Amino acid sequence: MSIVTVQLGQCGNQIGFEVFDALFSDSHCPQGLCSKRENEAYRASCKERFFSEEENGVPIARAVLVDMEPKVINQTLSKAAHSGRWKYGQHSCFCQKQGSGNNWAYGYSVHGPRHEESIMNLIQKEVEKCDSLNGFFIIMSMAGGTGSGLGAFVTQNLQDQYSNSLKMNQIIWPYGTGEVIVQNYNSILTLSHLYRSSDALLVHENDAVHKICAKLMNIKQISFRDINQVLAHQLGSVFQPTYSGEGSFHYRRNPLGDLMENLVPHPEFKMLGVRNIPQMSENSLAYSTFTWAGLLKHLRQMLISNAKMEEGIDWQVRPPLSGLPTRGKMSLNKESHFNTSIANLVILRGKDVHSAELGAFKDPALYTSWLEPVHAFSVWKTQRAFSKYEKSAALVSNSQFLVKPLDTIVGKAWNMFASKAYIHQYTKFGIEEEDFLDSFTLLEQVIASYCNLGF
Amino acid sequence: MGRRRRRRRVDPADAARALPEAIAALSQTLPAGPSPETFRRAKFDRPEAAPALWRLLFRVLSPQLADGASASFSPEAQVRSVKLALRTQGYPRRALAQLPDDGSQGGRELLLALAWLLARGPLPERLLTQNRVQLGDEMPVCECEALASPGPPAPSVEADGCVDIRHLQWLMGKLRFRWRNLMASQQEQCALLGKIHSYTRGCHSDRSLGHLSVTETELLRDPEGGRQLLRRLERENARLQAALEWRRRELVFWRWMVGGRGPQWSAARTALREAVGQDLAALRQACERGGGCSLAQPHGPHRLVRTEAGAPGGPGLRAPEVIEALRSQEARLEVVLRQLQGQCRQELARLVGAPPGPVWILPPGR
Repeated sequence: MSIVTVQLGQCGNQIGFEVFDALFSDSHCPQGLCSKRENEAYRASCKERFFSEEENGVPIARAVLVDMEPKVINQTLSKAAHSGRWKYGQHSCFCQKQGSGNNWAYGYSVHGPRHEESIMNLIQKEVEKCDSLNGFFIIMSMAGGTGSGLGAFVTQNLQDQYSNSLKMNQIIWPYGTGEVIVQNYNSILTLSHLYRSSDALLVHENDAVHKICAKLMNIKQISFRDINQVLAHQLGSVFQPTYSGEGSFHYRRNPLGDLMENLVPHPEFKMLGVRNIPQMSENSLAYSTFTWAGLLKHLRQMLISNAKMEEGIDWQVRPPLSGLPTRGKMSLNKESHFNTSIANLVILRGKDVHSAELGAFKDPALYTSWLEPVHAFSVWKTQRAFSKYEKSAALVSNSQFLVKPLDTIVGKAWNMFASKAYIHQYTKFGIEEEDFLDSFTLLEQVIASYCNLGF
Repeated sequence: MGRRRRRRRVDPADAARALPEAIAALSQTLPAGPSPETFRRAKFDRPEAAPALWRLLFRVLSPQLADGASASFSPEAQVRSVKLALRTQGYPRRALAQLPDDGSQGGRELLLALAWLLARGPLPERLLTQNRVQLGDEMPVCECEALASPGPPAPSVEADGCVDIRHLQWLMGKLRFRWRNLMASQQEQCALLGKIHSYTRGCHSDRSLGHLSVTETELLRDPEGGRQLLRRLERENARLQAALEWRRRELVFWRWMVGGRGPQWSAARTALREAVGQDLAALRQACERGGGCSLAQPHGPHRLVRTEAGAPGGPGLRAPEVIEALRSQEARLEVVLRQLQGQCRQELARLVGAPPGPVWILPPGR
């Protein structure tokens, strides 16, 4: 089954390119550490999911590129075509001549309806090329103007037009010290709209990925390209093919559906975070060997201590002792607290993957009281190694990962809203104070629900 | 002078062989059929016979499970499943329900249960039909068979004390996703079947079919697969032969089961047959009333054949007919769904203690 990706705005298009490139490179990696036949099955599965075929054989990404200005799209198209290995479809882009100056309301209320037909037609064409549609990825920033407002509009349209298909938004969480004054307004509007029309929100935090580049990859001058490549690596380690079950050697046909069924069936809990291990520069990779026990121990501690990467993990954080009441309502001020999960998905790739011991992830103390580990924890495996890492593990988690960042953003937005600063930019284009209040209410509810997981 | 009717002399050796041969025939048609000796031991309630009979009943009562799948059920789970299935079908004897769950006892009761199932209807034939080797790509055109036979009993979870509503919401959401995933899988299967059918046009020796099915395509691609298919067909043939043998000899089995109470037994059996017949007729009526088939053609699965637009098709159902029947059934079910939702709304209002007003029930999928 195939996934159609909608790349929105500068952010979405730049990241989208890196994602397709990472997927393609990995699927053609000769060092798969498995038999030729296995490698071919892996490649075919990845290809069917993310690329379509053309007569002369260069795979075409199943993607629609949307932006209100042509510069980034043109760059993206030419980078892909230049590589000679894969490309974007000739007629898969929609762009306008002028930008829209970071205005969420303009993106949602003006660009959206104005260009609705053209954009949805492009998506329809891409869908028709699929033998069967698994669902959509929508890659967008949360806080920029065009990408986020238009992204919210497009996601709503996808909900209306393809109500049975699955939708996952890949959301780029802005830097805490971002440049856009109204980024918090944009963020809350985006999140509240997406919460209503999307199935899952997979959040990528710029701050976290930036740290990974600095500390783990040892990159001195971190560019957006570096950030996007780390992000793409994370996504690839989740969505590249995995076996459909314990003991099976057929590749899973519906990863999006399986993931959603296991992680986001509850309508109030849709926010997902991703962690992966190991993550390092290629130079260091050659000199490193890992055991599954070591990798999983670190990954588990990253989960419960809410660490963003494998360095600087707080090993003091421990799950509450079973039988004792959990500590009182989760305090948002405490730095070190235990991260309660609702559900977790661990994805293992590489050598001896069947020998990896996952008992520690099935500890009931990790999870909220109303869901048992047998329902809350799932694991995907393949012995085909990912992207030159002999062993690698990824974790997609529905947990309290994002409560603190979300609460921070809502708090800042509320403070601005209290003085009605910059509201006219929104009301000018049809986003009323009511809409802001609705967004605050929804997000406060989400925060409260996640906080109450400790009970 | 009338001709003296000579009673045919039955060779005692033949008579002795007749029972084991009848049981062997029965056993061969059933999945996981035990040996005649096991049956004999069961009749004497010998404990070593019980596990085999539990396994047999499990396979017989959940025929939709693939051969390997029953291994994933523990013996206790199989025992509980059998008890539940028999209860669902209206099996009257409580002694069976009281047998221990570890499957160590009860051969005689189980044999009786098997006889009850055999007496109710053409069990071996039904099992053979359900598990037959399919050469074509088949799809059901109505739900009648599925509605008439209950599926495998699901393990029931006892809710002791309070249930967290978040858990229920989680489960509901999971069900919805599974439904969507199922829909997507079905659409994928249809798309791929369409491709295979159109690519293999002209390859089939039977002109009225015109194209190959998946099984037939695999036959050509993979000789080993062809050999396996042949072996499956041979095994199926053997089971069909056994079924015929069983029908010829089953009287011997029934006499053995009831120990010679011939006239009483046949009277009882006739009464049972009538009762069951009435039940089935009532079920069929209910099925048709409740929106079952309005199709003129026979029910059950049909082989999918793709034809060119405008070309005269062969015998069987046309797609527009089936679509029409399904649409009207869908409309009927929508009405029932709305009624049930209304009932739920009223029940909720009653529980809340308020006069019925707007209650927001989100439509599925949102």
